[in-house]
Amino acid sequence: MKHKISHNSNRFSFILILLISLTNLSAQTDKLLESISSEMEHFNKVATLTKQNEHYQPYIISVFQGKELEKLGVANLKEALLLVPGADISTDNVNTQTPIFRGSNPLAYGQSKLFIDGISVNNLFFDAYSEYLSFPIEMIKRIEVVRGPGSKTDGFNAYAGSINVITYAEDFKDSASNDKLVFKYGSYDYRMGGFFKTYKTEDLKLFVDFFYQEDDKKISSGPDGLSQGIFGANNIALSKSGDAPLWLREYSLGVNLEYKDFSLKARMLEHTQGSAYGINLALPQESDRVKLPSYYLDLGYNKEVGSYEVNINAGVKYDTFDSKSKLLPDDLNISNIIFEDGIYGEHYAAQRTLYQSSYLKYSGINKHTITSGYRLIKEETIDMTSKLSNRATGDVALVDYTYTLPFFDKDAKRDTLIFSMQDEFQFNDDISFIYGFNYEQTSYKDAGLEPRVSMVYQLDTENIFKTIYSRSHRNASWQEMFTMNNRARVGSTDLKPEIVDAFEAAYIKKFSTDSYLQTNLFYLLNKDQIYNSSINPEYRNAVDTDIYGFEVEYKGNISSADQLYLNYSYVDGKSYTQDVGSSDSLPNVAHHLAKGYYIYNLDGDLSLSGVVKYVGSKDRVLGDTREKVKAYSSVDSSLHYKDPKYKYSATFSIKNIFNTNITYPSAPNTYIQDYAQERRTFLVTLKKEF
Amino acid sequence: MRKVILLFFIFVNLAYGYSYDDLLLKAQASIFPKIMLLDKKIENKLIEGRIIYTIVYEKNDYNTALEITKFIDENYNGHFNGYAYKINLVEFSDLSSMTQASAIYILNSDKDIKKVADIAKKKGIIAFSYDVKNLKAGLLFSLMLEKSTVLYMNKENLYIQKVDFVDSLLRMVKFIDKENS
Repeated sequence: MKHKISHNSNRFSFILILLISLTNLSAQTDKLLESISSEMEHFNKVATLTKQNEHYQPYIISVFQGKELEKLGVANLKEALLLVPGADISTDNVNTQTPIFRGSNPLAYGQSKLFIDGISVNNLFFDAYSEYLSFPIEMIKRIEVVRGPGSKTDGFNAYAGSINVITYAEDFKDSASNDKLVFKYGSYDYRMGGFFKTYKTEDLKLFVDFFYQEDDKKISSGPDGLSQGIFGANNIALSKSGDAPLWLREYSLGVNLEYKDFSLKARMLEHTQGSAYGINLALPQESDRVKLPSYYLDLGYNKEVGSYEVNINAGVKYDTFDSKSKLLPDDLNISNIIFEDGIYGEHYAAQRTLYQSSYLKYSGINKHTITSGYRLIKEETIDMTSKLSNRATGDVALVDYTYTLPFFDKDAKRDTLIFSMQDEFQFNDDISFIYGFNYEQTSYKDAGLEPRVSMVYQLDTENIFKTIYSRSHRNASWQEMFTMNNRARVGSTDLKPEIVDAFEAAYIKKFSTDSYLQTNLFYLLNKDQIYNSSINPEYRNAVDTDIYGFEVEYKGNISSADQLYLNYSYVDGKSYTQDVGSSDSLPNVAHHLAKGYYIYNLDGDLSLSGVVKYVGSKDRVLGDTREKVKAYSSVDSSLHYKDPKYKYSATFSIKNIFNTNITYPSAPNTYIQDYAQERRTFLVTLKKEF
Repeated sequence: MRKVILLFFIFVNLAYGYSYDDLLLKAQASIFPKIMLLDKKIENKLIEGRIIYTIVYEKNDYNTALEITKFIDENYNGHFNGYAYKINLVEFSDLSSMTQASAIYILNSDKDIKKVADIAKKKGIIAFSYDVKNLKAGLLFSLMLEKSTVLYMNKENLYIQKVDFVDSLLRMVKFIDKENS
């Protein structure tokens, strides 16, 4: 009996130990599985935020990594954007440079939006972001460029594209940013110095970036606009040729702070540039300048509770147009008033944008993630002065015309409310949809309801298909609405928003994890594009444009030692000018664009690279009898060395090696020659990381 | 100048390093060791009481292999869930059936991946791959950052390996085979 009890007891102990072991094993397995799921979720979140999984996202996107661009000798944001498929760049008489996506209205500035760490920085005056194009590449972790309007249903209207610049303030577990010091020196006596610094405690993260840069760039230009008789035949002889002051002087301080669920993003950019080709199209003096400062402060609150995520932001943004320049030359004769010492002018317009937005994301319904919210924007001019040499007597001394003949409406203001909703629907493992809309009301003409629907179909690991339909708009810029008493530009508050309906399709063939070929087709129906000309300077909704084309993009390698990136884009279409009643081919648009780069790793630390760009010829606008804008191709090359032990790098670059004549088109009846750009230049960069 | 550049590329024959997606490398380095522990027969793969996690790389990718090692050591601090481990860095050309390995992780190579798969099969160990396309050559697992993070497994290779995964893992993976690549 005792034996039996003992036997039973042993058996019980054995079963108990087995059970405990199995339970323990099962608990360990569960813990491991839970840990794997959690890691997969973490990396998915990071990949989505950093666009590492760009091919599976429901928009047409190209992503460029800052460190790769540094290897290529790319100096700044502008040079990086010139690598984007279908992107070209244009300029104007004050050298407000603006990227053009897929040939969409090269005459307007706000066709694309620029975001720095999620903050929209387009200035209100032009709706441009020219002052940010010189942003040094060493301060940029990543550039995400979404072509087409299909990128936003969260209170932003990206018409032809949106550019997201992510600085090193982006911080994730496993990929912290290093502190760094950067110095650069190049042609035109270009000098740059900057740093990035982080400070972290358990709850607080502080990121600071600062840079200063200047150059003394001037490029031979002319004869200037007077040669075209814009100030009458009697002043044609006053036309000049010479060096256009294209110099730059700027500094920027950016601060990003995170404390628990709260964030603060602030930047102060002080940008000053030479007056380029002259506000009034007369070649200015070397010291004449335009200031385009930009400041923003954004406060955010982000909280996830269960299936809910709330994002609340509020902020303020200031931008200014501040010009001091000799506008017209000595001995100018206007209506028999002789301006013996020329005409000088000071134009100043400061704008303030206040905004507040709240968005709620809910992922509690199986396979759906619904996001909805609003964005309120209040924009206004807060200060304006307008001074000119005496218009009545011809005396050179400045007279304050702020109240009598202002260049701008000092009471300009606009209120906007945008409501948006979207659902991300994962139909199954292979197919996902995003559909939603923006609804916008403004204190002027409304864009109304703008839908968007997209689908991503992943056939297998190698083949991905996307289709997108979206409608978006561009509201008129301040310049287009509120400019007055100006021969070249007359604003109108009756302008309707420009509207685009975009149909896009993409096919991505993945050859391996890191190599792919992507083909995009697009058809864009643009209505009521805003236009003016020297003959009719009032801005009006005058042009409808149909644009179609395709882009092909390849990234991969030839050998194990290199990286190759190539893209080609073709764009064509018709532009219909309503008040002339005629159709024409797309003006100022290159039908063919090809770009690419090649990096050859000579050893683990040293690389040699080349960047090649081809921009096809461009037709002129209707009535402009000049020859087409000539096609050009340029080649840059860089040698990059990185010392992994001491964490420093040095790059030597030669841009435009073959000294090609690169020009951006000038508007008709302005400068008869197109605006010439830099010839061969060099750049040396030294960077030390800590 | 044109000719100089052309000649340079023709005559320079040193070859240094594939390019890798840094985030994907980290994701794989975090997750693959845990997958290995879900093998019910893990005890049979211990070598001298330790897990030997062998990273196979091309000579020019040595720095990448070192970075992965550093990342794993920082994350796991010497133990995979209670099992002591050692990371073994082996060049593709040196890999053989004699190479000590409880599991293999391979970086990119233009060499015969099937040879690696055969060694893994012979040794009865799991072979992870950086690139998902290598699963067709007979490796068992890869991981991709797609719309979500996807763990790929080659169904055909599962049944010929001396491994026995818990069912829950098999419910997590996306199977891949010659037809469904």
